[in-house]
Amino acid sequence: MVKVSLTVNGVKYDLDVPPTERLLDTLRNRLGISSVKEGCGRGECGSCIVLVNGNPVHSCLTLTSRLDGAEVTTLEGLAPQGKLHAIQVAFIEARGVQCGFCTPGFIMITKALLDRVKEPSEKEIRRWLSSVLCRCGSYPLYFEAVKRAAKYIKEGKIYFDEKEVREKYHLKVLAR
Amino acid sequence: MSKPDYVEIVEEIFYKTKEKKTEEFKYVGKDVVRWDAISKISGQPVYTADLLRFIKNPVFVYSVRAKYAHARIKGLDVSDALKYPGVLAVLTARDIPGINDVGYVIPDQPLIADRKVRFIGDTVALVVAESLENAREAGELVSVDYEPLKVYLDPLEIIDPETLQEKPHELIHDERGSDILTRYKIRVGDVEKAFKEAAVVVENKYETPFQEHAYIEPEAAIAIPEADGGVTIYAKTQCPFDTRKAVANVLGLPFNMVRVIAPALGGGFGGAEDVGNEIAAKAALAAIRFKRPAVLLHTREESIIGHTKRHRTISWYRHAASRDGTLLGVEAKIILDKGAYASLGPFVAWRAVVHSTGPYKVRNAKVDVVAVYTNKIPGGAFRGFGNPQVTFPVERQMDILAEELGMDPVEFRLKNILRNGDRTVHGQLLDHGVGLEEAIKKAVELSGWYEKRRLYASLKGPVRRGIGIAIFYHGNSIGAEGADYSSVSVIIQRDGSIVFRTGLTDMGQGAIQGLINILAEVLGVPPHYIKVELADTSATPDAGPTVASRSTAMGGNATLVAAYKLRKRLDQLAASLLGCKSPDDVVIEAPKVYCRDDPSHTITWRELVEQAFWKGVPLQEFGYYRAPPAEWDEETGTGAPYFTYTYGAIVSDVEVDLETGLVRVKEATTVYDIGRVVNRTGAELHAIGGYIQGMGYALMEDLYYDSEGRLLNTNLSTYHIPTALDTPEKFNVYFVEAGYYHAPFGAKGLGEPSIVAIAPSIANAVANALRSREANKLVSKHPLTPDYVYSIIKKAGVKP
Repeated sequence: MVKVSLTVNGVKYDLDVPPTERLLDTLRNRLGISSVKEGCGRGECGSCIVLVNGNPVHSCLTLTSRLDGAEVTTLEGLAPQGKLHAIQVAFIEARGVQCGFCTPGFIMITKALLDRVKEPSEKEIRRWLSSVLCRCGSYPLYFEAVKRAAKYIKEGKIYFDEKEVREKYHLKVLAR
Repeated sequence: MSKPDYVEIVEEIFYKTKEKKTEEFKYVGKDVVRWDAISKISGQPVYTADLLRFIKNPVFVYSVRAKYAHARIKGLDVSDALKYPGVLAVLTARDIPGINDVGYVIPDQPLIADRKVRFIGDTVALVVAESLENAREAGELVSVDYEPLKVYLDPLEIIDPETLQEKPHELIHDERGSDILTRYKIRVGDVEKAFKEAAVVVENKYETPFQEHAYIEPEAAIAIPEADGGVTIYAKTQCPFDTRKAVANVLGLPFNMVRVIAPALGGGFGGAEDVGNEIAAKAALAAIRFKRPAVLLHTREESIIGHTKRHRTISWYRHAASRDGTLLGVEAKIILDKGAYASLGPFVAWRAVVHSTGPYKVRNAKVDVVAVYTNKIPGGAFRGFGNPQVTFPVERQMDILAEELGMDPVEFRLKNILRNGDRTVHGQLLDHGVGLEEAIKKAVELSGWYEKRRLYASLKGPVRRGIGIAIFYHGNSIGAEGADYSSVSVIIQRDGSIVFRTGLTDMGQGAIQGLINILAEVLGVPPHYIKVELADTSATPDAGPTVASRSTAMGGNATLVAAYKLRKRLDQLAASLLGCKSPDDVVIEAPKVYCRDDPSHTITWRELVEQAFWKGVPLQEFGYYRAPPAEWDEETGTGAPYFTYTYGAIVSDVEVDLETGLVRVKEATTVYDIGRVVNRTGAELHAIGGYIQGMGYALMEDLYYDSEGRLLNTNLSTYHIPTALDTPEKFNVYFVEAGYYHAPFGAKGLGEPSIVAIAPSIANAVANALRSREANKLVSKHPLTPDYVYSIIKKAGVKP
């Protein structure tokens, strides 16, 4: 077993993990963080992407034992308690959500992209989003979501009140 | 005999709203944010595997799979596996208390192989252990003594393509006495005469590939033993009622002892039919035996090897036309590569034969469809279900015919398509909404067809452009396959909130949202009053399977019926409370309820519901709908196979690199006649998502086997599906609304239709780009991979 001290979504954990344990399993099985999905276990589908020290990684290809002192962010940690991040709101507004299994991966890769490039070009968006597979075929709507999110962030609208978002959007008619 | 009340209700609402424009509805046809959108952008929906964190003390089940594609099992030694740490048991066919069969349509598929194995992927034993790792490792120690048999990977080794007779061979299904699973045919008119009189005859051989669903959520099942000896199963399944039946049969339990719940599904596309039954049955076996929760999780590799695919086909088509471009006759032979088990093959083959002549006026046809077993992963259900496999050759033939006749492909099609009042090849009178002509014209307009056709013909250089059209029709729901019904339950709670339950699942494409919109529209409540519960076999009477583009039409009708009945009762009560002239004058715009002529005098929805409670007016309703019967004559292939059809026209605009053979789709135009748009967001996502999935089918997806029947591309780095980088730059999406009177507000299905004509539209565009008569005929199979397209370019001598 390896002793690892790890910060996940702002909470510090001291863990004893087998040297071969994947970050994916640590997050899902030890910490109960279920937005992180296993679609292939080989770094192909991107549904398990999380940020480690701000960098997007496949949590299925990352060993927890190597992460002593690291900061991990998952979809659950994107916004403070009771808030939703602009990227999440943009994903609702762009109407692209289908089965939702890949959505956490897309939102996390979008976060990584917008942390680096404030106004990404269409080409950059496609290149970054090609890290995650969506079999429902929502790609064009996800491109739209990234552009909307970039606009919100540029305007300084980073966090939205979750209750207000729910009231405004949950099963409500969206204007075109 | 008088009509059942549910038929009358659906018709009444259809005719009442027939002239109403979709924009004028409150919720039908609107972009309602789906019920699970906020939970999905928060990563909160519970997919089956996510339930694991709530499960205490589980056992894990692992399937040991066959190492030979065709072999007799002479013996099985599990003693070493049993000694492995953490192993509780190794279950074999002998441990099945009920019937060892999970065949979907016919009983040809053991859950655990007993006598022989028929593909690399057949389960030979189940290891039950304290951890998944231990179960997997112990699985390696199960020793099977095989007597290898000849492996058949090509259906043409089994069937003579000339005579369509079975050749002598070592039978895969010796117990059936034949490896021909099923045959269907159409015999209409006088084909010989038609070909004799034809000015132009075009014939060609076509192939379509296997396609893997590649839903991003791999299969999972969790079975929980119940105190009464029964079992509750959470599983990735599209069809909880079919899964319940399969599990009950395997366990030897009555249906009421097996409860199946489908949590959030990370995609299905038809793939989560059979495999849902298998994984549920495997987990249930272990749960019952050890009286502990039992968990089965597939890796991506197990998913790809362990679930059915879209059938591969080989077909030969001959078309005859007169000089003026009138279609005179069709002759076709279509062979379905069945793989090892029937699965839904008999129904797929039937849907293929029904659609085998395309949406055209055809008076003379001779078509044979034969499904032939091979030692490969079974073919089963996949969005489109046999129709894409016949639409590809038909639509390629149309383009080749148009070229031979010197006609534009659009003009040629318009000359021959089905319109209102026409009869299909089966003799079915199309007495309602055939929006095909409108769809074609709209697609032509939106895509800039004529300008591009001209422009692209004059482009020079190594990168060519091409534009192609393909059209189709698609029978809604299951038609003559079997009993066709659906049901939902709606319970209005005392505070006015509503619980909506159905046994239909949402695979992710949002079908359930259409039902919410219908319920809200009819009741007069905003959609956010409604809560959708998980698909559950205990929630409603059997709702039928979630397949065949039937959720909106069939589930929608059941919803409409329930909502209508509740609304009638509440209108009656509201009229007496408010003093309206008649119940028909009651307006419900929750939270307000009032009489039409006095909007200032209101009560609230909640007050109305509370009054209903105290006065004993029932606030709950089961909605049930049964489709009109379908007819099919096995000898001639005539009748009325489906009660209605969705129509569509697709235009693809592509770029072909003559130096590499690489094809890229630049722009896609999809126009579908879906009767009435009920769920606009969902419809558009189908149009776009179906296109992208169809583009994968057209350009990159296929299964590759070695000579022993081992699948070579078992994960997503070798089985390629479209990524963000492959997505066309532009989509033009439009809907035609030629309504159907036996459907909710006239709505027809779009789930499957959204993939049917994508591949041929792309293939036609590629052929157009190559600008060569020879190349046009050579574009006869897909995927149109760079090496295949390059070989066509070389063979046809296409020069930049």
